[in-house]
Order: sequence, then C-alpha cells, then structure tokens
Amino acid sequence: MAEVEETLKRFQSQKGVQGIIMVNTEGIPIKSTMDHPTTTQYANLRHSFILNARSTVHEIDPQNDLTFLRIRSKENEIMVVPDKAYFLIVIQNPTE
Amino acid sequence: MTPGKHSRASARAADAGRWGTGTPEAAREGGASTPPPVATMPTSPGNSRKQQNLWLSVGPQAKKSISFTNTARGGFTKSYVGANQSRMAMSKTMTILPEIKTEKMNISTPKTVIQVINPQGDDVTPRPLYRPDPHMGTAKPNKLLTSQEGSYASDYISSYSLYQNTLNPSMLGQFTRSVLGSSTVTKSSVSTPESIAEDLEEPSYKREKLTSFTDLRVVRATPEKVVTKEDLQKTIEITLTETETLRFFNLPTIMVSVESEEAEKLLRRNKNYETLCRNRLGNDLYVERMMQTINGAPKNKDVQCDKIIKEDKGVMSSTWDLYDSYNAMELSSLAAKQSMLESTSRASIPPKDREQRMPGSTTEKNSEASSLMDIENVILTTIHDDEEDHSETILKSDKFRQALFFMERVLMENLFQPKLAAYRQLRILKEPEPEEPADFLESKKLEESQEEGKKEEEEEIEISTEQSTIPAILERLWSFSCDLTKGLSVSSLAWNKINPDLLAVGYGHFGFKEQKRGLACCWSIKNPMWPERIYQSPYGATAVDFSIGTPNLLAVGYHNGTIAIYNVQSNSNVPVLDSSESPQKHLGPVWQLQWIEQDRGTTGDDKREILVSISADGRISKWVIRKGLDSHDLMRLKRTTASSSKKGGETEKKGEALISRQAPGMCFAFHPKDTNIYLAGTEEGHIHKCSCSYNEQYLDTYRGHKGPVYKIAWNPFCHDVFLSCSADWGVIIWQQENTKPFLSFYPTTYVVYDVAWSPKSSYIFAAANESRVEIWDLHTSTLDPLIVNVANPGIKFTTVLFAKQTDCLLVGDSDGQVAVYELRNMPTALDSGQGDIIDTLLGPKSNHQG
Repeated sequence: MAEVEETLKRFQSQKGVQGIIMVNTEGIPIKSTMDHPTTTQYANLRHSFILNARSTVHEIDPQNDLTFLRIRSKENEIMVVPDKAYFLIVIQNPTE
Repeated sequence: MTPGKHSRASARAADAGRWGTGTPEAAREGGASTPPPVATMPTSPGNSRKQQNLWLSVGPQAKKSISFTNTARGGFTKSYVGANQSRMAMSKTMTILPEIKTEKMNISTPKTVIQVINPQGDDVTPRPLYRPDPHMGTAKPNKLLTSQEGSYASDYISSYSLYQNTLNPSMLGQFTRSVLGSSTVTKSSVSTPESIAEDLEEPSYKREKLTSFTDLRVVRATPEKVVTKEDLQKTIEITLTETETLRFFNLPTIMVSVESEEAEKLLRRNKNYETLCRNRLGNDLYVERMMQTINGAPKNKDVQCDKIIKEDKGVMSSTWDLYDSYNAMELSSLAAKQSMLESTSRASIPPKDREQRMPGSTTEKNSEASSLMDIENVILTTIHDDEEDHSETILKSDKFRQALFFMERVLMENLFQPKLAAYRQLRILKEPEPEEPADFLESKKLEESQEEGKKEEEEEIEISTEQSTIPAILERLWSFSCDLTKGLSVSSLAWNKINPDLLAVGYGHFGFKEQKRGLACCWSIKNPMWPERIYQSPYGATAVDFSIGTPNLLAVGYHNGTIAIYNVQSNSNVPVLDSSESPQKHLGPVWQLQWIEQDRGTTGDDKREILVSISADGRISKWVIRKGLDSHDLMRLKRTTASSSKKGGETEKKGEALISRQAPGMCFAFHPKDTNIYLAGTEEGHIHKCSCSYNEQYLDTYRGHKGPVYKIAWNPFCHDVFLSCSADWGVIIWQQENTKPFLSFYPTTYVVYDVAWSPKSSYIFAAANESRVEIWDLHTSTLDPLIVNVANPGIKFTTVLFAKQTDCLLVGDSDGQVAVYELRNMPTALDSGQGDIIDTLLGPKSNHQG
C-alpha cells in the first residue's frame, strides 16, 4: 500500500505531470490529485471514450483487450490504463 | 372394416338425407328415402359402427371432415325423434362425406347471429356463455320437423338449432364448442350421444379442420337445391376405396435360438406364462372386480394476482459483449469458490436477478446474454459500492500495480524520449534496429522518434559531411539516480545477460573508515528515475553480477565478505542464498564477482555455472549452488616479493616479515576462450595468471604496476591482449606471453578505477579515473585519449561499463549516479580490423583472431 502511494507520489513529482485521477467503472473519481471540477470533467469525458476504444478492440477479436490508451494533444498528453474495476488517468505535459 | 366403412357412412348419409329434405347435401345424396323413424336401427352396435364411421370420416379426410354430428345420430330413440331429426338435419348439413364434394358447407352462418371473422377466416365469434336449457329445445324441433317437410334452406334449420342448442360440448367434443357454440345435440339423448361424443373426442381433430369448417361456414354460397323425389331416387355412384393400413401396435416376435444361453430362461418363462393363462380363469388370484373412481366435484376458483409488470429491454450486443459476459459468468462462479462472503453473495445474486429479469427480457439469445451482462454489471457496481469504501483494495491489487508500472514507463518515455531514442539508436533510421523485444511502448517510440528523427537525420547528414573535423564526443544522455542512491558511490555495474535493458548497480561507501549501508539496485533503461528492484543491506555492495544460465539470479558481493544471491523476479529484500553462514566465506570485501560457465573438462559434463569471487582475504573461491552455497577455493593468493620474478613461482624470503601471507586480490578476469585460465590482480600490483586446475601455483605473474590493480580486462577480440588499471595512475596493456607491459598509459595523476574494452572495436577502451572518463582509441593514437570527459568537481568516476549493442557508455560515479553517455562521431574506421590490434601496434605477430 505504501509502495503504491509512493509510486503515485513519484509520478506526481515528475516533470510535466499535471494530475492523476483514479476513476471507478461508473465514472466516479476515487482518487485525484487535481481539483474537483477538473477531475469530474476529465472523468466524465474519458469514460465513454474509453468504452468506445475498448469495444473497438474487443469487437475484432474478443480475446483481445485494451491495455493502454493515449491521447496526445497539443497541450498535453492523457494516458489511461483501463481495467475492469477502474481507470487510471494521468495527464502530462510532454517535455517537447 | 375399412372398406365397408365408407359405404356405411354413405349409406347413413343417404338415409339421413331422406329425412332432412331441406338439405342440399341430402338432395345430392339423393335416394335417401327411408322413413324418418330410425328406431329400427340398432343402437349400440350401430352406434359403435357409426362411431367408427364417424371416426373414420374424421380421420382420412382432410379439410372436409367435419364429421361430428353424423348420420350416426340416426340411431336415436324415437322419443327424441324430433330432436334427433333436427340433429340429424344438422348433422346432415354438417356431414361431409369424402365422395361428396361439399366445399360449400353445412352450416351456414345464421343470419341473426353476428359472426366475427378475423382476416384469416377464422371464426372468432365470442361464444355465448349462457346455455339454455336443453330440454327446452326439444319442444321446438317438432315444429322444425313439420317445417322440414317443405324444402328449407338448411341454414334455417341450422340457425334454429343453433339458437336452441347452444352447447353441448360433451357431445361434439372440442369441435362444436369451438366452432359454433352450438350443437344440435341435446342433452336429452344422453346416453348414446354421449357415448358417441366420447368417441368423438377420441379422434384427434385438427384445428385446421375446425378453421376450415368455419371457413366453410362462411363461404357457403351454393344455392339451395330443392330436393325432388326424383332426386331422391336417383342412383348414386359410390366409390369405395380402401384406405391404407394403419398400424397401431406391432410387437414383433423375438426369436431366440435354442442353443443360446437365454433359451433356458425363455422356455421357462413361456411355460410359466402358459400355466398362468390356463390358471387364470378359475384362479383366486384373478378376480373380476369393478372399481369406481370418485370424481371429485370440480370447483371453480378465482385467483387474482398482482399485475406482472413487463418491461421491454433491448441491448445492442456485440461479439465481445457476449464473450465478456460469458467470461464474467465463469469468473464470478470462480470467485464464489474462494469462500469470501461477498463473493458468495455475489454468486447468489445472479440467479435471482436472472429469474426476475427473465420475464422482462425478450427471448432472443442476444438480449438474454446482454441482460445477463447487465446483471453482471449491476453486481459489479454494487460490489464497487462496497469497494469504494475500501478503495485500498483496488490500490493494492496487483493489476493496479501493473498499471502503475506501465504508466510510469510511459511517463518516463515521454520525458526521456529523445535520450532513449538516442540510446537505442533509433535515429539511425536507415536500418532501424529495434534492439529491444517487441514492446508496444517501443513501437510507439519508434513511430514518434521516426517522425522526429527525420528532421534530425537531415541534420545529421549535413553534419556528417563535415564530420571529419568534428571530434568524437561523449554525449550525456541521462543518468540513473534517485534519492536512495544519493551519496553512495557506485562500485560495480553489470548488465543482465538476457535482458539488455536491465542493469544491476552496486552501491556502497568506500571511504576507508565509514561503512554505511549499501544497496544493490536493478535499473531498467525504460525507467531512469526509479530502480526496478532495490536490495538493501547493511554493508556496502562491492560487486554485482548477473548469472548467465539463470538470468534472474543476481549475485552481490558485500564489503563484509558475504555473497548474496537475489532473485530479481521477486521484489523481496531477502536473498535467495547467502554465504554469511558458510564457513568458507570471505573475510574481506568481495571485490569482484563473476559467473563463469565452466566446462567440466575431463568428466565430460555439460557446462556448469559457478560463481567466482575474489576478495581481500586473498582467496579466490568458486561457489557452486547446490543445496546452499558451496564454496571451494580456487586459489589462495600468496604474497610474492619483487625479487622472485625470475622463477615466476612464488617464493618467500624468510627474511621478510610479512604480516599476512595472503595478498588481497582486487580483481580477476577469466580468459574469454579458455575458462580454465584466469588472471588475478592483487593489491601488490601483481597480476597472476592462474589456472583452475592448480590452486597453489601461479602459471605466470605479470609485474608492472606499482599499486593495487583494480581491474583487468581481456580484449574481446584479440585474446592475447589484456588491459589493467591500477592505483598507480596507470593503464597498461599486456600481451599474454609477455610478462612485461606492452603499453602503458599514464594520462593523469589520478587513480584509475576502472577500465573496459569496447565491445565493438578492439582498439577502443574506456578508463575511468577520479576526475574524468577517457576513451582511448589505439588505432588513432596511443598517446592521448580520444575523448576526455571531465567530471564535475567533487565527483569521482568509479566505474565504466560499455553497453553491448549500442554506442553507449555507462559511467558510475561517487555520487550514486550512473550516467549514460553516447559515443558520438566515433571514427568510422573502427568497424574493420577488430582483431588486428597487435598487428597494428606491433607489426605482424601470430595469435590473433580474424
């Protein structure tokens, strides 16, 4: 448990990381390092997108599954680890 | 019976026809001129026959066999003639005999009764629930009879009878009930009609017949034909056909050979049976008895139930949806086995929910599965309501850790992308060499770097044209460091043999007095910010090496002489094996460790891997992992004095009072080809060539250094040449046969801690001394290093290690950092002549590998 906490802290302290959000399957954020409105916004928007991405992968081969999702935009990069129980979302500013 | 039945039926019809003059069928039948009193007809047998008729006519006929109220009615008692006759009339109208084409049917719709016909032609008239007293009907038929004399349209009669005798369902069986709600049969003639009715019920009426009947009822369009006397007396052609034989029961005889084993039994059985049959008549065992069953009085009971709320639910399901839901079902059942309260309740919820949902769901398979999935989702969410409170369980779960792991890697990649790309030489895009195992991260990196690399490639091309003037440089890419390692100095570096991304670093304090804690860390290239594994210990780690045969084993040597072997697959801090209890453990710091695969040689066994260590207590031991860590001394390093160089063996002058006879060993190096031979460097400055076969004597001694020899390295290409560095500020190149130094370098006045040959070229080596890292290229110059990289003040470089496949150099320093440098712009002539170092330097001489 402490290890996990430590890891999260390390993430947070790294260059460019804007925030970390953990969301459960319903879209309710469990843990977040950012302020609440931003968090909820991100969580809600991500949810359907992730489901869509997952269904795309799954549709073609049901044994396949989505392991990682990355959206790179001008401002930042959003990385999502989808899982059955939760989503882990990290937003980072790319160094370049 | 079969052939006769039809005729009889027709005869009956004919008879009937005579009575009911108004019926067209009767008219068609013609010749029906028997007098009304049918009492002459025998009752029961006739009935039975008629029943058969009835039955028959029902059976084979397809549409037309609305054969219920048949001519059989004719066998009724006289008292009910009227009624009978009306019945008969009805029956006549309703009879459809096979010969007679009676598409237009019997009972036409009464004009007064409203009929509801649905589009298919079925009669869906609501049937009246009221049944008038059947006896009432008996009076009226008399009237009917009288009217019958005239030529009536059959519908009249039918309508009349319809009125009166609404229902006697028992008579006509299902048919009438459903069709008309009217039967012409009254209850008055109970016995026979009932018996008939029962028989009527036997044949299986098909619904089609029923509907056809109603159809026919509706469709009736023939105009009524007036039956004249002539018609009645017309002869009618009746064709008799035989129906096919219908088998109802077939019990084939079983024949058993007399000789078989069962014959005995069978014979006995047959005999028994015969005696039984014979005895049956007078036997007490068989008594004729009648039984009466008591039929309970039926009672109507009304029940009111709650309204069943139905819900239509539709879900779009896809193939993965189905797959998931099936998997989830299995998973949930598995979880139930794991005897967690929650999970058992979880498992019990699905069946319940399923039942509840069943009525609501459609019968399609798809939606059923997805409704199941909904159930699963519901369950999962309910569980997560529980788990939200215990979000720690999520956090603790392994998957989460893994997710974090990936995330970290990705973050790192983002941060260090250009550096990593340089490391992996991804910018050289002509032959993109993804040196790593396929990793989705890698592929992404490739894509990204390719995009960026293109620009830089152009730059590079421009640069390379003017390359000759640009000196080779060491470009610092990044460094492995973290808080944990700050302040410690790097003592050793080792690559993993299988995974070229994994690096083991040993840390410790090497001041003379302080003995602080030490660390051994495993770093991965993919994550320069935090080590993958951390093994802490109270002593400084002085040597690390990965095993070749079992690449997950990491051997760490400590400053107190213990050797510990860790399994890097696990994260625990406890070593798998430890030599601290071994009686033969080292008493001084273990300065070098190496795993060697050694041929057993004479015994012909496979290569066996041993761990060889050299320590300051003057022993070179080899450790074998059998049940524990077993050690065996390969060599005891004895002190030699300077004057004994002639013999090459060890001598000891008695005159010298030595404190200890052992010479602390600092380093060793096994010959790349012959694993029996190795070199050992001591604190005295001597390098001894030893063999594993002898543990007392040296084969040879190389003297040249004046201070402790810190590192020895064989040239990977030319196996005669090796390199050594020592605290006397010097780096010396030796040739194997020559005990005198071949070439020596004294570039600075600092202690040289480490040297290493480059794996790419036989001319290049790197040396790390206190203040700087030097890259020497013997091809270019033997006087000056090719590249010099000066350290930051206060930091000493302690170790160097080349990266195997890339042009990178790792340098460890005294601050706990391992910096990764890329060698850039190295002279390109390096690729050739890997083995010709001797030739180049000395002129032609043998013993070099091509």
